[in-house]
Amino acid sequence: MSHTVLVCDDAIFMRTMISDILSEAGYEVVGEAETGAQAVELYRQLKPDLVTMDIVMPDVGGIDAVREIVKIDPDARVLMCSAMGQQALVVEAIQAGAKDFVVKPFQPSRVLEAVQRVLG
Amino acid sequence: MAGARILVFRIAELLCGAEVTAVREILPRQEATRVPGAPGAVTGIINVRGQLLPLVDGRRALGQSPAADRGSIVLLEVDGQTVGFTVDEVLDLFAVSADDLSDSGDLPGVDPGVVRAVGRRGGESFVLLDFDALLDPIISV
Amino acid sequence: MDRSQYAELFLAESREHLSTVNQLLLEWERDPQASEPVQGIFRAVHTIKGMAATMGYGKVADLAHRTENLLDLLRRGDLSATDEILELLFQSADSLDRAVEASVAGREADLDVSAVVRAVDQAATAYEQMVPRPAKARPSAPVVAAPPGVGRRVQVVLRQETPLKGARAILILRRVEALGTLFAVEPAPVALEAEGFDGRFAFRIEAAVSDEVIERTIREAGDVERVELVAEEAAAPRPEAAGGPARHIRVDLRRLDALMNRIGELVTSRDRLAALSTQRADPELEDLAVGISRLSGELQEEIIQARMTPVWQVFDRFPRLVRDLARRLGKQIAFRVAGKEIELDRAILEEIGDALVHLLRNAVDHGIESPDERTALGKPPEGVIELSAARERATVAIRVQDDGRGIDREKVLAKAKARGLVEPSTETLTDDLLVRVLARSGFTTAARVSDVSGRGVGVDVVADRVRALGGAVEVQSRPGEGTTFTLRLPTTLAIVRALITRVGEERYALPITHVAETLDLDAAAVTQVDGRDAMTLREAVVPLVHLRQLLEVSGEEPARRPVIVLQIGERRTGLVVDRLVGQQEIVVKTITPLTGMLPIFSGATILSEGLPVLILDAGALV
Repeated sequence: MSHTVLVCDDAIFMRTMISDILSEAGYEVVGEAETGAQAVELYRQLKPDLVTMDIVMPDVGGIDAVREIVKIDPDARVLMCSAMGQQALVVEAIQAGAKDFVVKPFQPSRVLEAVQRVLG
Repeated sequence: MAGARILVFRIAELLCGAEVTAVREILPRQEATRVPGAPGAVTGIINVRGQLLPLVDGRRALGQSPAADRGSIVLLEVDGQTVGFTVDEVLDLFAVSADDLSDSGDLPGVDPGVVRAVGRRGGESFVLLDFDALLDPIISV
Repeated sequence: MDRSQYAELFLAESREHLSTVNQLLLEWERDPQASEPVQGIFRAVHTIKGMAATMGYGKVADLAHRTENLLDLLRRGDLSATDEILELLFQSADSLDRAVEASVAGREADLDVSAVVRAVDQAATAYEQMVPRPAKARPSAPVVAAPPGVGRRVQVVLRQETPLKGARAILILRRVEALGTLFAVEPAPVALEAEGFDGRFAFRIEAAVSDEVIERTIREAGDVERVELVAEEAAAPRPEAAGGPARHIRVDLRRLDALMNRIGELVTSRDRLAALSTQRADPELEDLAVGISRLSGELQEEIIQARMTPVWQVFDRFPRLVRDLARRLGKQIAFRVAGKEIELDRAILEEIGDALVHLLRNAVDHGIESPDERTALGKPPEGVIELSAARERATVAIRVQDDGRGIDREKVLAKAKARGLVEPSTETLTDDLLVRVLARSGFTTAARVSDVSGRGVGVDVVADRVRALGGAVEVQSRPGEGTTFTLRLPTTLAIVRALITRVGEERYALPITHVAETLDLDAAAVTQVDGRDAMTLREAVVPLVHLRQLLEVSGEEPARRPVIVLQIGERRTGLVVDRLVGQQEIVVKTITPLTGMLPIFSGATILSEGLPVLILDAGALV
């Protein structure tokens, strides 16, 4: 059975690209969220094996969403998606419980490596 | 509101109450150091085992006539701050049920803005004070 | 991968974000104080940046990135939204719009965004880019001293191309933490996040697992080039000062703070015991009191010493900063550091790092002239900036000195007049007045964009920081010769020597850091200057502050009253009190801020009989 993934990013462009990378590699994207609040809600419903989470989003940001998701499921596996220069935010996300991170611009190989590490 | 455990005390002729969850301890009256410029209801700052805390005069805060330095200090935790509050006499600690508390009901001589509820203890009414509202104009955070 | 299939999506979404940007900019223009628009604009530009980078549209990504930097400064309040800045942001949004369209149409090569890139960069870098963000207070694993020889030492090297090396290192540390106890992480977790972290770090671990498990756990965290484990490394004793080799451990500053508080209470009890024993006239009790007094004094001294840290721990990161900035601005600068061994309380040292960055950046950017300009003025083309620390009286003076053009007093004076900060009749700005104007909160904000050559960016920030530490800022500046900023700081925060004064029945403590002298008020020497009392002191006029009036103390003034002369830089004020009670060490404690409280208190302390006494802030009185 393939692993299920929830993709969270406020840009459709990014969501589409990540979903495509993951689907092509055989993962099953079961949901897409465009806000942190939505991600938390969908996580509750879908219980995916993995969440990819953008750091900067309106309303509930990625880091707060990680905190909420970890509250729901302490074993949740969240992969942060960040841009260069956001080291402090990434560290904060790790402290909040994120399991790994990838840096934009995305290279499919690096995204898949990180996903495997997290699901490992 | 739901039932609660209440510390009941007297300030001048008023029976007042504070929810026990907000009370840290009860201390004897002690001398305070004046803080120039602070509101009139503030007696000053006191030393509680090395911690310096503001002391609020219960009578002045409730618009009652000031009186001699007798009675006790109730240490309250309000909004993350610890504050001393002088009362004339601590009377009782008891549990009230929600039925014995009503949201409305005025007591003469008390600003309704600082009253959270009115309750009954035995045959008498007391005001459950809203310390957030009471201390808001005093502490600047 | 083939990205063309995403181009349409990118275009549609970018257009949407840019339209949001334009709407929010208009909203912002109507209300430049509002904070919501900048947040929204920042997010939109950030999203465009990420998408463009993924699409490989370098010019869009670059312009978005630089705009984002500028927005970040605005968002953090380091820059304010002036008309010029808003205009620049409008231009930048237009350029982004054109760049997005052109890139998707495959005409990226024809695109020239360099002009707007330069303008955005200039607005951001000229002012703020060199200031590192203050490390956010974040609970991190406490650094524990490793007992010598305990555990295995692990060295990790990350791959060269690893993005965000610091975050990767912290991720690795978190994973190995699950295996056992970590000691002696080097560099410290804060330094891992610093710009220059090169991906090499080490720690000791005590764990009931094999080397293989540790290595595998580290490698599984990704981006690891090399892992080395060394068992039972003997502690290498380092020779130190006389009295045998010193061994160092690292202690959480909060532990030291807690210890200091306890000792503060001990000192208070000690004083009470001493007072009691004198009262009782019991020789045995007195002996005991003297013994305890000596011990607690020594203990206090030890703990103060434990907090002292040499300034090089902060100074050592500046040569690089000055060099990089000089290179970028095309300046030639010799940077000298003196007094590196001078020690300050660790808490103070940590607080002033940012302030020094501000001052050094100012010196490089606005103080030192370009090589051509210097040559034309008959100066050597290479400018000199010196950063020094020195012990002076009860304080430590840290100076940033440059031999540049000096502060343009006329410009500052004109601006100060326009803002009503000085009397319209003021003809010249003395050094004193100059520092007062520069230190006014927000004074420089308005000047930031339009005034590139003027001096004083962020001096208000520096002054605030230093004052909060109980210190003061002084400035000396000579046209064509240069500028010196002096930060005068107490050596320690928690315990200070103070004068105890009395006014009516009340007592107040005044730290001696800024006390120049005390003398009896000579009624005959009191004059009036601008309707205020002043006195003549060795031919200089010193304004007087009557503490009794300031604090609204009623009752009769004694006939003979002392004056405490407070001095900060060249500025002096005479503080008239009823009586001087004595001098003693006091433990500084914070107090709850009360509405309306006079802004002249920096905290309170407890005197020997247990009563609180407020501490006067010299900086607010002078």
